[in-house]
Amino acid sequence: MKSKIKIKTTVAILAIGIASAAIINGCKVPEEIANKSGAQLWGENCNRCHNVVDPKTFGDDQWDAATEHMRQKALLTDREVSKIRDFLKTANK
Amino acid sequence: MKTKRTFILLMCLSLLMLGLVDRIMAQTDSTTAPVPNSPQGGAEKMLLAGEVSTLWQNNKVVGAPSTNTFAASPLGLMLMPLVKLNDRLFLDVQVAVTANPAPGGGAVASLNEAIIYYRLTPAAYVFAGSFQPRSGIYEGILDDFTNRYCTSPVGMGIGVQTESGIGIQGGFQAGYSKVLYQLYIANGPQLSVDSTGAHNGQLNYGNYIDNNKNKAVGGEIGVLPFSNSSLELGISGQYTPKTGDAGSLFENTSSTSIATYLNYYHVFNPVMVRIQGQYEYTQTQNFKLYSNSSDTATLFPSFDNKISGWFGGATVRLSGSRRTLLSNLELGGRVGQLILPENALWGAKPLNQTTVCLTYWFTWKTPLNLAYDMYTQSGSPTQTQITVRGMWFF
Repeated sequence: MKSKIKIKTTVAILAIGIASAAIINGCKVPEEIANKSGAQLWGENCNRCHNVVDPKTFGDDQWDAATEHMRQKALLTDREVSKIRDFLKTANK
Repeated sequence: MKTKRTFILLMCLSLLMLGLVDRIMAQTDSTTAPVPNSPQGGAEKMLLAGEVSTLWQNNKVVGAPSTNTFAASPLGLMLMPLVKLNDRLFLDVQVAVTANPAPGGGAVASLNEAIIYYRLTPAAYVFAGSFQPRSGIYEGILDDFTNRYCTSPVGMGIGVQTESGIGIQGGFQAGYSKVLYQLYIANGPQLSVDSTGAHNGQLNYGNYIDNNKNKAVGGEIGVLPFSNSSLELGISGQYTPKTGDAGSLFENTSSTSIATYLNYYHVFNPVMVRIQGQYEYTQTQNFKLYSNSSDTATLFPSFDNKISGWFGGATVRLSGSRRTLLSNLELGGRVGQLILPENALWGAKPLNQTTVCLTYWFTWKTPLNLAYDMYTQSGSPTQTQITVRGMWFF
C-alpha cells in the first residue's frame, strides 16, 4: 500500500515537473520562429482555412480591418498579425 | 430634509453655471479644445466584405421523380462590415440576406454575428455581443466559401450555435507550437417544450433574452503543434446548468456539448492536400424528469436525449501545376453521419452522407462547386443530390 502511494506520488511529481519544464521552455520563442518573415507567415497561416490571399485584393486601410478580423477568426498571435499586415501593405502596391 | 433639498438645489445651480460659463468661454476662445477620447485622424479603418452565392440542386429519392430547385432561394447575400475603431477596439458584424428575385419573392435579413472586441493584452481580447462560439472548425470557419465540399455535413450544426454573451480569447506562441483559446459566458440554449411534443427536448440557440437566471459557460482550446501551422487540433465544450424556462417543471434540465476537430494542410509539391474532420456531441440531461410530468406522462415517450455527428474529408489540388486550369481545380471527398435519439418524436435512424465535390477556383475567394451527395438511412430509400454552387466573396 505504502509503495503504491510512493509510486503514485513519484509519477505525479514527475508529471508536474515535465509539464512545468514544457511550459517554462515554451514561453521562449525560438529564434527561427521569431525570425519568420511576413511573407512566410502569410503563406503558412493564410492557407489554413481558405486559399492564400492575393495581397493586391485590398488597400492599406482595408488590410488593417481585414487582418483584425483574421486575428479573431484564426486566433493568430500578435507577432503574426503585425508581420502579415506589414507584408500585405507592402505587397499590395 | 430641508438641508438635503438645499444642497441638491445648489449642486444643480452650480452645474448650470459651469455649463453656461463653458459655453461663453468657448465662443470667445479662439483656440480649439481637444475632444476627449478623440483618436488621431485616420485611426478608423473599415472594410465592407461579404459574399454572394447561388445554389442549384437536383434531388432524387429512389422510387420517386427527381426535383430541381434553387434551394431555399436562388440568391444569397452576406454583408460583413469590419471596423477597426482604433488600436484596441474592433467591430465585426455579419448580416445574411436571402433574396428571391422571382415574382412574389421577398428578402429575409438575419444577424449572424455582431461582436465588439477590446484588446486587453496582445494575447487576450475581450469580446461581447452575438457570436458563434468556437465549437470545432466547421461552424463559423469552414462553412462558407471555405467549404470545399459545397454542401453542409449532415452531422454538423447540431451543437453550439450563435450565442449572446461575453468572453475572452487569443493565441500565443508556446515554443515551436501555438496555442489558441476561447472562454465565454452566454445566455445558452433554451429547451423546447410544446404541447404537441414535436420538438420536445430540442435546444434552441441564438436567444437574445434568457429564459432563466443561469448562464452557459464554454470554451475551446486548440494547438498547432508544428512550426509551420499546418496542423490544428482542438477541443471545445459548453455546459448549461439550466435550459428550461424559469419556474417551469423543466428548468433544471442541463445540457453539455463537446466538439473536437482536426484541420491539416500540406503541399507535397505539386499537390496540396487538405484533411479536415470534426466530431460533436450534445447531451441534454435530466430528461426523464420531462416525460414523468403530469402534463406529458401519457403523451411522450422517455428517451435518452443525445445527439452526435461527425464528418471527415480530404481534398487534393494540383496547386503546383503550370497549367492554370489544373492548378485551379480541387477534388474533395467527405463522409459523415448524424445520430439523433431514435425514440424522440423528432428522432430518426442514423443518417449517413457521402460527398464528392469538384471545385474550380476562379480566384482565391471565388469557387464554383459541383457536388454529388448520397444519403442513406436504415429503413429509408437512398437519396442522391447534385449541387452546383457559385460563390463570390468580396
